[in-house]
Order: sequence, then structure tokens, then C-alpha cells
Amino acid sequence: MPRFHPLTVTDVRPETRDAVVVTLRPDPADADAFGFTQGQYLTFRRDFDGEELRRSYSICAGLDEGCLKVGIKRVDGGAFSTWANEALRPGDVLQAMPPQGRFHTPLDPARGRNYLGFAGGSGITPLLSIVKTVLTREPKSTFTLVYANRQLASIMFREELEDLKNTHLGRFSVIHVLESEAQEIDLFTGRVDAEKMEALFRLWIDAESVDTAFICGPEPMMLTIAESLRKHGLTDDQIKFELFASGQPGRAKRQAVAQDAARTGNACEVSVTLDGATRSFRMPKDGTAVLDAALENHMDAPYSCKAGVCSTCRAKVLEGEVEMITNHALEDYEIRAGYVLSCQCVPLSDKLVLSYDD
Amino acid sequence: MTTDATEATMPIADYLAQGGVLTAPGNVPPRYRAELLRTMSSFVDSELAASAGFADAINRAPGIKSRIAASRITLEKADHAERVLALMEAFGTDAQRYEDAHDWAARVDRDATLEAKRHGGDMRLSVFHYPLTGFTDAVVMNVLMGIASQHALGELARCSYQPLAEVLRDILPRERRHMELGLEGLERIGPTDEARASVAYWIPRVAETFGAAESDRFDRLRAMGLRHTDNETLRRAWRAEATEKLSALGFD
Repeated sequence: MPRFHPLTVTDVRPETRDAVVVTLRPDPADADAFGFTQGQYLTFRRDFDGEELRRSYSICAGLDEGCLKVGIKRVDGGAFSTWANEALRPGDVLQAMPPQGRFHTPLDPARGRNYLGFAGGSGITPLLSIVKTVLTREPKSTFTLVYANRQLASIMFREELEDLKNTHLGRFSVIHVLESEAQEIDLFTGRVDAEKMEALFRLWIDAESVDTAFICGPEPMMLTIAESLRKHGLTDDQIKFELFASGQPGRAKRQAVAQDAARTGNACEVSVTLDGATRSFRMPKDGTAVLDAALENHMDAPYSCKAGVCSTCRAKVLEGEVEMITNHALEDYEIRAGYVLSCQCVPLSDKLVLSYDD
Repeated sequence: MTTDATEATMPIADYLAQGGVLTAPGNVPPRYRAELLRTMSSFVDSELAASAGFADAINRAPGIKSRIAASRITLEKADHAERVLALMEAFGTDAQRYEDAHDWAARVDRDATLEAKRHGGDMRLSVFHYPLTGFTDAVVMNVLMGIASQHALGELARCSYQPLAEVLRDILPRERRHMELGLEGLERIGPTDEARASVAYWIPRVAETFGAAESDRFDRLRAMGLRHTDNETLRRAWRAEATEKLSALGFD
């Protein structure tokens, strides 16, 4: 399982009014672990008021820059991004997992490929890493980047992209599409919707010559672009996605307070939520696992290994107390947030409320 | 990429329903996570059980060519299991312990009747609980199940979890090669009584791997983009292809 390592912040540079670029250095012993592939991301963890939050940010450095950099855009109400934008200073130490992610295709210096990239807002971060890497490592390849932003002032890496364009004339082009700022050409104003995609393909982009397309941005934009790419003949193999969304809320919820139910009987009233439906049943407190009791009660609860190893049966305790016999899959922060492996989980209280949907 | 939640602009369920894909464990919601892990476990367990079952066929293989084919199938099925298990690791699965959790070579009696559901602790497809009786039986099973995998894995290779879809797209041609090695083997064996008996034994058991015709789970998975084509349609496509390929070899 990936582990966290310390990364020292060596630079924090404001990129726009609400985004910073953070440069990081691993300890010498961890240098190999932090070797990355273009387009990958780092997952950070930090305690906010006693609750651990984990956030992933894409690396925006190219392979040949010799450093780790991530771009962090402040999101309204986002605990981690606000803290990074307001309080993070050189010398601080962040905890991060080694780079992960598959938003890349293998490089081949001998081949001349045509890449197409679509970035929305801070979705530029992994694309910048890919663009820079492709331009230096695949000298015969070209890259066309369509970059959507609300307005001129919110464009991240605007200067760096201009510099890249000038350095790699004819190989790299960037099309800025600004939602709320008129530009000389109408095509470049508004949202990247189906109509705009049609116009781009008609006037600027030759779909047939595209080898691979990369998309990173908000969900509706990803859907629209992917649909349009497929319509113009690109296969699923040629379209690479990187999604923003998080399964974890912006601020971790408080763990449900264990109810101090009177421990009288030897049975537990269990209420289990699965696929939006809640079922209740009584189960003995004799060491039977909650998962087994749920299965006996004809609930189609998810599980696989039944040995506390795979985490398929992960569920959240909303009320009551349980004991986990073994746990090889959940991490401390998940346990603090109330998650259990239901195959290993024995009720201690007389009442237990458990959900597979949370 | 940034996973700060408030940047999301539409509910993930709507996004998935419209054909959106998820790209990392960090953007997978809880119920999706459970179904995805279950799907991956079933694949990993089936590949491990298939590899373990096929290992015996190596020593029963007549001639070096067949021996190499059986070795390759045994090796590559274990490799395919490892690739998907690596994706599960990103969700917290302890891969080392996972492999040790079950006896992948364990089988029930040849005549046992299993319902098409889980048996024992692991998630292998029920067909992998039945024992192989000899080399011919192994070849026939491999052909029928190999054709079934092309349909079942082809379906999963379109799933909305991009890392799994990509791994399966890499695996599919190699699984196809296993099926073709089986067909070559079966052509050498010919439509003997033993081979016919094996076909009759495995057809209904492989057919069951596609699951129930009416399935609530399918509807749920379809809403998440984890499935697209229903069980019965896949089963029919498999049956048609299997019939065609077997007739070409003299099995009617």
C-alpha cells in the first residue's frame, strides 16, 4: 500500500489571484519514490481541526525540470486549497504519497505524433506537465491545447504557455477559450460546448490526424468533449481522461458519536443501508460478523476476501459501537471517519446503524 | 487535477449516467467503490483459479507444443490477475495477503450442482469451482470459457472506471490468444466421444457465468456505467460464437 513521505516546500509562487504553484523536495532517501511520469498527481494529507483531509493535486512540472511542482487553485470552502493559498510557506513540510495516476501515454522519441489537449481551469496542471514533456522528449510530435477559462486574469500558466509556444514554434499551439471575455475571434469566446467543438474541428483541428487526446476539467466539459471526439472518429483508446471530483467531502464530517446503549441483552438491533434502502434485523452478539448477518438476512452486501484484506466490504458506522477483528485494508484516517470492514466487524452495542452508501 | 470537492459542477451520478468516466480511487463514491471492487475481485479470483486449475494441464499435455501452450495460459492468467490486483491496491487492498487468502486450486466434486453465485470465501465465477478431468477436458473448458471471456471482458473493457478499462483492453488480445490456442488444441484432438462429453459438460456451466437474465445488480451497475450490455444478450452472443466455432471443428 502506498505510504506517505515528507516533502519540503522550497517555493510558493502566486500564479493567479487564487492559485499558487508549490515546489517540493523529497528527502534524499525518498528521491526514487518521487520519480514521476508526466500527468501524474500527488496525494497530500493534513489534519484540519483533528480531522484528516486528503487532497490530490496534479504535478505541473515536466520530466526534464528536475523538480516536483503542483498547482493549487483555491476553491470556495475548500479547506486544503485555501490553506495552501494563504498559509503555506517555504520550509513547511507536507506529507505526500508517491506519484500516482495513469493520465499519460508512453513516450517514443522516434515517433511524430499529434496530440490534442483540453483543459478547463486548474485542469491545466497535468496537461502542462504532459505538454512540456512531449515537447522535449518527442521532438517530432506536435501538441494543440484548447484551454478554457472564465476570464483572462484566471488563466494559470499563461506566460509559461506563451514561452513554450515561442520556443516550439510550429509544434505547440494553444487556443484560449474565455467564457466571459470577448476576444477578437468569436470562436474563442464562450463555453466549450458541442457547437464550439464542431467549429474547432471545422476550422482549427484535423481530427483524423490526432493520435491521442487528453481531457482534464469539470465533468460537463469532459462529457461534451469526449462525445465530440468520438463523433469525429476517435476511439476510447485514444481518449485519456483525468477527473477533478472527490469522493471525500471538503471538510471531513465528524465521526458519529457512539451511543452508550445499555448493554443488557446478547443481541444487537442492526440497521443497514444499502443502495438507498434500509433494512433492520436482530443479530446475536456471539462473534458473528455484521456482513454475515446481513447476508443471512438476504441483503446483497458487497464483499470479496472475507479476510480483512481487500476492503470491498467497507461500510460506515453511523451509530453504535463495533470491534474489528482484523484490518489489513483500512487506514487510520478511514477508521477515525467511522469506516469498518463489515466482514471483520462484530457489534458491541445493542444498537448498530451501518451504511454501505456513505 | 485537484480533488477539492466544491469544484465539481455536476452530481457524479448524473455524470456517470451520461457516460462519464472516473479516473482515480479519489473520485470514486462509496457504492461505486463497492461494486467496482467486487467486479475486480471476481476477475482476479477467476483468473487465479483458472491459472491454478490449468497448471495441472501442463503435465497432462501431449507433446511440447501443447505443454508450452498450457504453460503460457497458466502464466498469463496469473499475470492478468496481478494487473487488476494492482488496481485494487490503490483502494487499500493488501495484495500480498490477498493472494494467500484462498486456495485457488480447490475444486468441488465434478458432479456437484452449484447455483450461479459465490461459494466459499472467494469471488471466482462458479465455473471455476468445477475440476478438470484431463487434458482434453481442459482444452474444451478453455475454448468455451475463452469465448465467454471475450464477451464478458469486452463488456468490462468499456466500463466507466478508466484504469480498469485500460488494463482490460490490454488483457483482451492475450485472453483471445489463449482461446485460439485452445481451438488449435481442440482441432488436433478432434470431435472424439471424450471431447463431445466435455462440451456437453461445460456448455451449461459456462452459460451460467453470464449471470441471471433479470438482474437488479445489472441495472445498478448500468447506472454507474460499470456495465452496458445485459447478461442475456452477452450469453446469446457467446452461444452463437461457440456454436459456430465448434461446428467448424466437426462438433455439431
